[in-house]
Parts: sequence; C-alpha cells; structure tokens
Amino acid sequence: MNSDYVISLRNVAKHYPIGDGRFTALQDINLDFSQGEFSGLVGPSGSGKTTLLNIIGSLDSPSEGTASVLGKNIATLSHKESAQLRNREIGFIFQVYNLLPVYTVFENVEFALLLQNRSEAERKKAVMDALEWVGLTHLADKKPSKLSGGEGQRVAIARAMVKRPSIVLADEPSANLDARNTHGILQTMKDLNRELKTTFLFSTHDEKVMQYLERIIHLDDGRIAQDEIVHAQSTPT
Amino acid sequence: MKLAFQLAYRNLLGAGLRTWLNVGVLSFAFVIIIFYNGWIDGWNQQARRDSIAWQYGFGQLQVATFDPFDPFSITDAHAALPAEDDHLTPVLLRLGTLYPQGRTMSIVVKGIDVNQTVVDLPTSALTASKSDLPAIIGEQMALASHLKTGDEVLLRWRDIHGTFDAATVTIAGVFPNQVPGIDKGQIWVPLKKLQDMTLMPDEATYFIADANFQHTEIAGWKYRSQEDLLYEINNIIKMKKMGGSVMYLLLLAIALLAIFDTQVLSVFRRQKEIGTYISLGMTRQQVVGLFTVEGAMTSIFAAVLGALYGTPLLGWIAHTGIAVPMNSQDLGIPIADRMYPVFGLGLILATLMLVVISATIVSFLPSRKIAKMDPVQALKGKIQ
Repeated sequence: MNSDYVISLRNVAKHYPIGDGRFTALQDINLDFSQGEFSGLVGPSGSGKTTLLNIIGSLDSPSEGTASVLGKNIATLSHKESAQLRNREIGFIFQVYNLLPVYTVFENVEFALLLQNRSEAERKKAVMDALEWVGLTHLADKKPSKLSGGEGQRVAIARAMVKRPSIVLADEPSANLDARNTHGILQTMKDLNRELKTTFLFSTHDEKVMQYLERIIHLDDGRIAQDEIVHAQSTPT
Repeated sequence: MKLAFQLAYRNLLGAGLRTWLNVGVLSFAFVIIIFYNGWIDGWNQQARRDSIAWQYGFGQLQVATFDPFDPFSITDAHAALPAEDDHLTPVLLRLGTLYPQGRTMSIVVKGIDVNQTVVDLPTSALTASKSDLPAIIGEQMALASHLKTGDEVLLRWRDIHGTFDAATVTIAGVFPNQVPGIDKGQIWVPLKKLQDMTLMPDEATYFIADANFQHTEIAGWKYRSQEDLLYEINNIIKMKKMGGSVMYLLLLAIALLAIFDTQVLSVFRRQKEIGTYISLGMTRQQVVGLFTVEGAMTSIFAAVLGALYGTPLLGWIAHTGIAVPMNSQDLGIPIADRMYPVFGLGLILATLMLVVISATIVSFLPSRKIAKMDPVQALKGKIQ
C-alpha cells in the first residue's frame, strides 16, 4: 500500500445480512486518492456511494479488504482511535446538513474544536475564519432554523473545514440546493481545496457538482464501472 | 467531563421549554422533600424539647414494676428510696376518679414536690392556693372535664390498703402546654398531700432527675435515661417520616419519570444528532456521558430554581410556623399549636444528593442504548 495516498482502498467489499442471505453493497473496490484531490463518487441511488464514504470516514468498516486512511487501517481502529481520526482529519458534509438545532451557527462550527480542547481565543479565531470562508460571519448568532438551505450547507462546510482536516467527505451536498446555491457552495469548496490542499471526496449524481470534479469514479451495483480524470474548469458555467 | 458539562449546558438551554418543564417539576419535588423533612425535624425537635422540659427532665428513676403504658401497674408501683438525693424530684402516681358536673372520669392523680424546678409544671400555683387540696390541670384536661381555675370537684381514690376515700379538690390553675403525657386524664396535687391521702409517706412512683444526677444501681428501681424516655417519641416521628416519605418519593418518582421519559424520547428522537456527534469525533461513550450529564444538570438547574423560590418560601414558613389543629394532641406526642420547621444544611445537602444522584441514574439508564448504536443508521435518523 502506497503511503503517499491519503486514502487507499484494496479489494474492499461490504455485505449486509438480509434474512438467510446477504446483500453486497460494495465489491472489489480498489482506489487511491492523493492529497488535494477533488474527486467524486458518481452513480445512481443504491450504487454504494454513501457506504464507501462511510467506510472512508471510519463510521463503518469493510466486510472484506483493507481501507486505509492517512496510513491507518479503518478495520483495526478502536472506537476512540476512529473518533480521533474523524475529529482531527476528516470533515463531513451531509445532504441534509445535520446541523445541531439547538446551537447557533458559531457553536455548530465551534463543536469540533471543543472536542480538540482548543482554547477559547483559538476557537473563536478559527470559527470566524471558517465563517468568513463561506461568507456567513453576519449569521454567527443565528440558529440553524433561521437559515436558508444554501446558508445551512455553507455552515456545514465551515464546520467541516474549521479544523483544517486532511479529507472532506461530502455526501450529496447539493441534493437540497437550487442551482445558484449549488454553484456557490461548490465554488467555495473548490477555493478551499486550492487554498488548503484539502482532499475532497463527493458522493453525487448531480451534474452540476460533476462539472467541478477533477476525477469522477462511476459506481454501479457496488462496483467501479469507470474511474476517469477530468479537468474541471475553476468556474463552470 | 468539562466538555460534557459545557455541551450539556448548551443543549439544555437550547432545548427551551422541554428543559424548563422537567426542571420545574423536579424543583417542586426538591422543595417539597425539604419542606416535609424540615417540618418533621421541627416537630421532632419541638416534641423532644417540650417532653424534656415538661415531663422527662434529664431521666427518670422508676419503681421497677412501673410500666407507663399499663395503668394497672400504678397500683403497686410505689416505694421509698433508701436515701434522699437532691437531684431527684419525686412523683407519686395513683389511680382515681373525678366527678366533674356529675360525670365520672377515670384519672391518674399525680403528686409532685411543690418546690420542684426540674420541669416546667407551674407547681407554685399549688403553694399559692389556700385550698385544702389544690390541684393543677393541663388545658386538654380542663377542656375534657369542663373545669377551670377556682372550680371545685370531687375526687375519689384508694389508699395503700385499697380503702376508698374522697375529698373535694380545688383547681388552683390550668396550664397551657403541648405535652399529652402530663395533661390528658391527669391532675397534679402536692406530693405530701397525696402521700398522706394514700398512707404512703416518703413513697414515690418515679423520680425526675436533674442535670447533675449520677445514677447508681438501686434494688427495686430502674433508671431510664433521657434518650430511653424519648424512644417512643423518636419511634413515632420515625414512623411519621417514613409514612410521609411515601408521598414525597411518589412526587420525586413522577419528576424522575419525566426525566426518564425525556431521555428515552431523546435517544430515539435525537438519533441524527447522536450520529452527527459521532461523525464530528465524539466516541459513543462520550455521547452517553453527554446525555447522562444533561439529566444530572437538569437536577442541578432544579436545585437552583428550587433555591430561588424555596429559600424565601421555606424561610418564611420557618419564621412564622404552621398552625396545628388543637385535636392533633390525640396522636399522643407533643405537638405545639404552631410548628416551626427546621431546615438544616444537612437536610438540604442530603436532598440535593438524592435528587442529583437519582436524576443521573435515570438519565444514564436509557442513554446506554447509544453505546450500541450504529452511527451510520443514527445519521440517517433510523430507529435502532
């Protein structure tokens, strides 16, 4: 396994028991991702995109094969080790944002830093920087219920980026957004990718998202159907 | 742990009404528990204080055959002490019959040294009276016999040989008190007089000890210490406390049920939130800790809220007291007309511990389910 890759998957398979049999969600997945890649898993619903993201994000483990993230074998990590990996190295962006409803925008973004025991001053600076990246400093005191869909997703991006992770996993980030907002948040992520060299991995079947990707991996029935390098424009039209 | 408190604080404040409903119910339970126990403690202290002041002194030396709960034992319970002791006040008990306004009342005639100072009985009224046979009675006895100061009433008794005799008694005074043991069904007369009437010179049924009395074994006599004499009162208070605790434990159970219910619902309804915590880097154990601390913090909020309205309320009650119905003396232990609850620091701390620990436990129990949750399913908000 090449340690130059931030993510390395070898013969990864994922099976779920169904009755007496089993359902195979992923099969023979062999992929490597380098630092700073802006890639996407593309495919129809049920093709295994989210399952693969969950394995890479150490929320799940493969039934077969090896998933290595930043040199760590996901299957052998303890609960505490995988929590630390998620806390320090991996940022998640979800389809429905998953913002904590009782927290303000500031507190939502601050959360990961609290887990890292950073000082208050350090947290404040990092949160305001992150909100500035996504253009939401003026909404810092608002609760998620007061935000529009685009604003909510921007907060989710700020929350994922505030700790400056090595990897950001975005699961259908545009599913609840209109075209204008989709382009807005993708452009933000692209800028962050360039500025911070963060590896972004999307799961999507949205054409608008695909326009931004530099590498597209097509999944079909849990297998890699195609792995293509594309050269996305910095500002697709 | 600091993080769990920090996050729990935010979560509880953010949850708004849900939090404040639980806090309100729990704070009510908190204040009621303190009030009830303070009331019982106040009663206990008053009952002990009055019993010592009016009846028990610092202990009693009793004729060995005397049983305060068996009136028939009075007949033979009389003897003289081998040697006089300045620290002992004699009391002689005899059974008698009073005939107030033509009615018949079985009573205990108690002869006491008119110069005694060991108990608060106003025996000076007996010396002040010019009557041949003066007596003082308590308020309850006066009420039951319709007698008042200056009234004369016929008393019949038996002497040492069992011979009946009778004389007119003059009520020299009616004393207010809260101690049934010196009041109901009793009249107090001068000891010397009763000894003469019953042909029992120098004899007594028991002696009330003062603070300086040193007990040594005397054949035919038994010594009952102050604590021993208060044993019955303590037992009654303990029973009362236990009976009352059922009431406040029920109230506490309702409050805890509200927290338990909230926690069970939270574990189901906040699955997406739990999944998000885990995806952001919390371990499942940390999430369990967070939910448990939320419950514990609810109880701390309840204590603070309870202190806000409970301190002035209970302080006012402790100052003004609570009126007790007159017939409450029927319980057989001293109860003042006004009861003054006592809210000690120990009581408040013990109640705080009870509420916080029980709230923590009922918060932890449903939260354990989180430790077995699949974070992927939790993120989707699927019931597990």
